Amino acid sequence: MSLLLILWMSVVTVVPKNVILVKGAIPGASDSTTPVPEKGTVSAGRYRNAYFGLSYPIPAGWREQPAGPPPSDSGVYVLAQFAVSDGERLKAHVLITAEDLFFSAVGATGAKDVLASIRHDLPARYEFDHGPEDVTIAGRQFHRLAYTAPRTGLRWRIFSTDARCHALTFTFTGVDTEALDAGERSLSAISLASAAPACVNDYASNDNIIEKTDPLLGTHRFNTIPVRVLIAANGRVKHIHLLSAFPEQSQAIIATLRNWRFKPYRVDGKAVPIETGIVFGVPRMVAKTTRAG
Amino acid sequence: MCKEVCVKYRTKAVVPLCLLLFALPAFAQTDPGLRGGTPSAGGPLSSVASDMPPTILAFFNDGRTRFTNIDSVSNSIVGEPGFGLGPRYNSRSCGRCHAQPAVGGTSPATNPQVADATADGATNTVPSFIVSNQAVKEARFVYFTDASGNPMFGSPNGGVEPLYTIAGRTDATSCTASVISQPDFASAILHNNIIFRIPTPVFGAGLIENIDDTDLLTGGSNPYGISREFNRNGNDGTISRFGWKAQNKSLEIFAGEAYNVEMGVSNELFTQERPTPEEDRATGLPSQCRTNGTPEDHTNFNQTAIATGSDTVQFAMFMRLLAPPAQVTGTGMALISVINGEAAFGDVGCTACHRTQMVTGKPVTGPPRITASLENVTARLFSDLAIHHMGTGLADNVQQGNASGDQFRTAPLWGLGQRIWFLHDGRTNNLLTAIQAHSSTNSEANAVIANFNLLSVSDKQDILNFLRSL
Repeated sequence: MSLLLILWMSVVTVVPKNVILVKGAIPGASDSTTPVPEKGTVSAGRYRNAYFGLSYPIPAGWREQPAGPPPSDSGVYVLAQFAVSDGERLKAHVLITAEDLFFSAVGATGAKDVLASIRHDLPARYEFDHGPEDVTIAGRQFHRLAYTAPRTGLRWRIFSTDARCHALTFTFTGVDTEALDAGERSLSAISLASAAPACVNDYASNDNIIEKTDPLLGTHRFNTIPVRVLIAANGRVKHIHLLSAFPEQSQAIIATLRNWRFKPYRVDGKAVPIETGIVFGVPRMVAKTTRAG
Repeated sequence: MCKEVCVKYRTKAVVPLCLLLFALPAFAQTDPGLRGGTPSAGGPLSSVASDMPPTILAFFNDGRTRFTNIDSVSNSIVGEPGFGLGPRYNSRSCGRCHAQPAVGGTSPATNPQVADATADGATNTVPSFIVSNQAVKEARFVYFTDASGNPMFGSPNGGVEPLYTIAGRTDATSCTASVISQPDFASAILHNNIIFRIPTPVFGAGLIENIDDTDLLTGGSNPYGISREFNRNGNDGTISRFGWKAQNKSLEIFAGEAYNVEMGVSNELFTQERPTPEEDRATGLPSQCRTNGTPEDHTNFNQTAIATGSDTVQFAMFMRLLAPPAQVTGTGMALISVINGEAAFGDVGCTACHRTQMVTGKPVTGPPRITASLENVTARLFSDLAIHHMGTGLADNVQQGNASGDQFRTAPLWGLGQRIWFLHDGRTNNLLTAIQAHSSTNSEANAVIANFNLLSVSDKQDILNFLRSL
């Protein structure tokens, strides 16, 4: 490398390629140690997600695909995707998603609702094999929906379970029965933690708030800002997770919410920690549904 | 697959064609390429063609004429009836860039910006990225820069950097290269601090404008991890829908901004001439280049009838009254492939964003507000008009309204068959390459593209054939 080139490189700043530098509404949190849904990892052949206490064994030969988008303002997370191919053609893939039921765009209240909504919105040309039906996998209740697109031969096997007021969903899609079977079998070895704070929808209503001030959101962006809040047994806010907010909005909301106080939530007379959802900005709208084209 | 289609559409002619189709999978799928023949767009909506209500056709024709008029600086050049060009510009008329396959479309095969550089005596240097056989381009700098041209990462820019100035033109003799200069594109390229956009086609734009927000918000679940977020007008919070990032609320705003930014014509919506940020911080645009009073384009009070309207208003009216492109499906095997391709397009999940159709709004009471063909009609635009994360591969790191560096409006696909260049920056003329570019880190389309890659060669080919029929 010539001296001139080294000199040039030392003084020239270059915008990096293939990096998203200018971000809009993104997730944020009041601390970086409390687990949040979007922070899963892949290691030693497993997808792990501390928030859900999830450990999923990736089927042999399946490879991690590019990461998905940030969580949406309707509470949809794309957690991970894995795929298997025969070298030339893709055979199957699995998309792991979570839909925060506090903010569902279709008003879903459980994993079964989410699958029912998918079924409802599919065009009539699909052939349905199953569901949504209840199945037990790894000792846990899942809901299963399976269907086929007859013309292209694409097949879907979708499994969804309720986890911390989210619909945690594994969508297997493929054209190869063996690959789909292998994917489905992999679910039997998953583990999902059950120890989590109770999730209580709409707890942040005026009846339950002892002290609050509203955040000043600055520029009027007309966006929906879904926020998950962990409330300690004493009613203090313990953790704030913004699913989708502009940075200045995150700062304002976190600063304000830290000072909110709630009535302690009681189970059998005992105060317990909970998590709940709050929407700032434009209220979420539950969409009318139509069949897709 | 073909068997089912053959049964459904069985004719003596079709069966042998289907047998031929079975042989196709031996070859890789390919983009059939630009659909030839007569342009399937460019005319007025049917009720406009019928002149309902009376005189509306004259408005459309006047708008089209103004859309194609070449602007000079001071309206003193024969054959260039437009007024107000510059002091900076990307091209000299709307229609020079919105040209393919007809007036109102997108980039033509031959980039007119090469000739625009030196038209009428202008002394511009053609930037390296403006090439005769490539797409028309609008350039934006991602970040503001320091004196050495280094991007300042704390200062996102994203504004349009017009390619040319009027220096040297015979109708702008006081404005010389010593007082106004082109942006330093070479430095921006050196620092990778530049992104490009190509013109969006505006066929059927009036239908897009007339879809109610409520209908845009209608939608259900999908198994692809795709969400639907919208860019919104900062003034009233309603959904904006024009431009690559759906940053513009209405056709009039869209026209006014483009007239100011792309051609340098101040108007009643964007009332000042546009200086560079550096000029703005110093003494503004050089006085030698302020040839005309502002706004240069305005309501013509000294005229009557149609001529009263400003160019901006008439540009918007032309776009509003343009018919959407017609689909050309062909017959026989071609038709079967298109039918199967549309189904496969839906099967893999493309329609989660490229929503097949929506119905435009209708008046609550009384007759049509503008013309019947705009109201209560089905628009097969293949877009949800939402903004979606398209990932690192397509990100341009420009924020517009609520759309972030990698969010883009779902591009309406009607007219795709006769477009030459694809994606926001025109990086490819190959449809298959454009489809695959939808997948990259952080893209919402990753699962859908994986589904596409599950398909057989013949099903992929059917999708390409379907898209080229649009």
